[in-house]
Amino acid sequence: MATSDKINELIERKEKVEMGGGEAAIGKQHGKGKKTARERIEGIVDEGSFVELDVFVETRSTDFGMEKKKTPGDGVVTGYATIDGRPVYLAAQDFTVIGGTLGEAHAQKICKVMDMAVKMGTPFIGINDSGGARIHEGINALSGYGDIFLRNTHASGVIPQISLIMGPCAGGACYSPAITDFIFMVEKTGQMYITGNSVVKAVTGEDVTLEELGGASVHNSTSGVAHFKNSSEDDCIADLKRLLSFLPDNNLSAVPSIQCTDDLNRICGDIEDLIPAEPNKPYDMLDIISRLVDGGDFFEVHKYFAQNIIVGFARINGSTVGIVANQPKIKAGSLDVDSSDKGARFVRFCDSFNIPLISFTDVPAFLPGVGQEHSGIIRHGAKLLYAFAEATVPKINIIVRKAYGGAYIAMNSKTLGADMVFAWPTAEIAVMGAEGAANIMFRKDIANSDNPVQTRQEKINEYRTKFSNPYVAAARGFVDDVIDPATTRPRLASALEMLKSKRENRPSRKHGNIPL
Amino acid sequence: MKKFLIKVNGNQYEVEVEEVRADGDLAVPAPAAAPAPKVEVPRAAPRKNIEVPAGSKTVNAPMPGTVLKINVREGNAVKQGQVLLVLEAMKMENEIAAPLDGTVASVNVETGASVNAGDVLVSLG
Repeated sequence: MATSDKINELIERKEKVEMGGGEAAIGKQHGKGKKTARERIEGIVDEGSFVELDVFVETRSTDFGMEKKKTPGDGVVTGYATIDGRPVYLAAQDFTVIGGTLGEAHAQKICKVMDMAVKMGTPFIGINDSGGARIHEGINALSGYGDIFLRNTHASGVIPQISLIMGPCAGGACYSPAITDFIFMVEKTGQMYITGNSVVKAVTGEDVTLEELGGASVHNSTSGVAHFKNSSEDDCIADLKRLLSFLPDNNLSAVPSIQCTDDLNRICGDIEDLIPAEPNKPYDMLDIISRLVDGGDFFEVHKYFAQNIIVGFARINGSTVGIVANQPKIKAGSLDVDSSDKGARFVRFCDSFNIPLISFTDVPAFLPGVGQEHSGIIRHGAKLLYAFAEATVPKINIIVRKAYGGAYIAMNSKTLGADMVFAWPTAEIAVMGAEGAANIMFRKDIANSDNPVQTRQEKINEYRTKFSNPYVAAARGFVDDVIDPATTRPRLASALEMLKSKRENRPSRKHGNIPL
Repeated sequence: MKKFLIKVNGNQYEVEVEEVRADGDLAVPAPAAAPAPKVEVPRAAPRKNIEVPAGSKTVNAPMPGTVLKINVREGNAVKQGQVLLVLEAMKMENEIAAPLDGTVASVNVETGASVNAGDVLVSLG
C-alpha cells in the first residue's frame, strides 16, 4: 500500500467518524431543532481551534448484537479548543450515534478530557444530549457514570465546570451536571429527570409530560437545578460565552480583568431616588446594582429561581465581582429556604475561584411560617451564614435599607467577617422592625395606657428614631462607614483595590461540614 | 395579642384578639370579666363560590398577607408583568404581577382579605 493510499484511508476513516450516526440520523436531529455534537462545538469555540481527541474510539462490547453495530466515536465528541482566546476542554454527546447513550468507551473519553482539563487548569464544558446508560453494556456503562461523577467532584473548586443540557439527560446522567457549577438548559429540547414520566405514572399515578416534569422552565424556576434558560441553542452558546468572560481559568489564576471604560469616580446622583421613603414600599434592587457596576453590565445567575435574592456577576474597574443582593420586591426580600440555598451556592463558587463578593442588604427577616420551619429554614439559612463566614475572598457589604435580626447577621455582616461594611443613611440596622419591637418591649406600657393606640404609636416612633438608622451599628463599629449613596461606586472601587492583597489563613482541616 | 382560628360554615378565619383594659388594672384578668376586647376580624374573607375556571392558570399568594388593592376585574386583558394586586406581607406592599399575557378568568379574593401562602388570588384564562 502506497503511503498516499494510507493517508487517504486515514482521511476516509476520519470522515466516516465525523458523519456520526449518518445522514438520516443527522436529519432527524435537525428535525428536532437540535444541532449535532460537532456543530455545537463549532458554534462555541473560536473558528478552527477545536482539536478532537479519541476520534477512533469505539465500543468493545459484543453483547446483544453490539458487535454488528458501529459506534463512531462511541457517541461523544471530545477535545480542546479556545473560546475568546482562552483554552477549554469539551465533551459533546452525539445523539446521532445510538442515541448518545453512555457506554464504557464513551465514559472513558469524557474522563480523559476532564483529567486533562484539571491538569491544565482550564474550564470544562459538557454538552448533554443522551438517552442515558447504554443498557447493552450493563454495569460497565453504570461504572462509567461513577468515573465521571468522581472526576466532577474532584474538579469542583479547581476548574469551572459548566453543563449545557441540549437534549435528554435522564436518570443517573443528571448527577454529573448537578455536581458542576452551572447548568444551562435549552427550552423544549433540554430535559432532566431522574425517572421519566412513564415510571412516574406507574408509581405515583401522576400524569405529566416530560417538559412539565423536567423541562428548562421547571428546573430554572421551581427546582433550581438549572441556572440559565435559553430559547435556542444559539442563545445558550451566547450566554455561555458571556459567563466564561467573567470566570478565571482555575482556582489559582486571577479573575479576568478587562479595560474599564466606565469612570471609577462616577457619582450616581439619581440612586437615592430609587429608595422609597416609606419602608413598606418595594423597589427593584436590580436598578441599584446596574447603576453601580461597570457599564451597567450585570449577568444574573439563577434569574428565575428564588427571586427574593439576586446573584450574578459584574465588573468593577474591569475585574469580575460576584454580587448577592436581597430583592425587596419579591417576598419583601426575606430569606427563605430556596433563596438561602441559592445565595450560599453562589458565594461558595465565588470563594472557590477568588471572585470578590459584594452584597446589597435589604432584608426584613427569615420568612416566617410553618411551611418554612418544616422545610428546614434553620438548616438552609445556616448554609448562607456558613458560606459568607467561610469565604476568604474580599467581602464588601452595602446596607441599603432594612437589616433586621438574624437575617442581617446572615447577609455578609461585619461579625461574619465582612471586610468592609458600608451603610446608606436609609439603612435600618436593628433587631427587628420598629412596630414589632415596640409591641414587645412596651407591651405593658401600651396595655396600661389610657390610650393604647396613641401610646403604641409613640413607642414605635421612639424606637424608630432611636434604632431604625445606621448610626447605632456604626457607633459599635459594625458598620465601617455611613456613605452618601451617590458615592457608592467610587467607594466600592477603592475598597476592592485596598482588599486586593487580602490573605486570611485558617487552621488546616480536611474540610468544613456545611449543614447541607 | 392572641390568635384564634375560627371555622364558620367550613370557612377558616384567623382572628387576632387583643385585650385592652380601660382601667389599667394589672390584676390577672378573668377572661369573662374582661372589658369588650378589641377584635380584629378580617375585614373580608376569601370569597366563596369562586371556582377557578378549568384550564386557567392560577396566581397564588407567595406568602401569608392581606390583600391591599386589586387592580383587575374578571374579563380584563392583562400583559405579563402587569400588577394584578398588591399583597401586604412582611410589612411590605408586594406587587403581584401576571406571570403571562391573558384574560382574568376569576378574582378569588377581595380587598382586605387575609390569605395564606398558596391561596389562589386570581386566575388567568
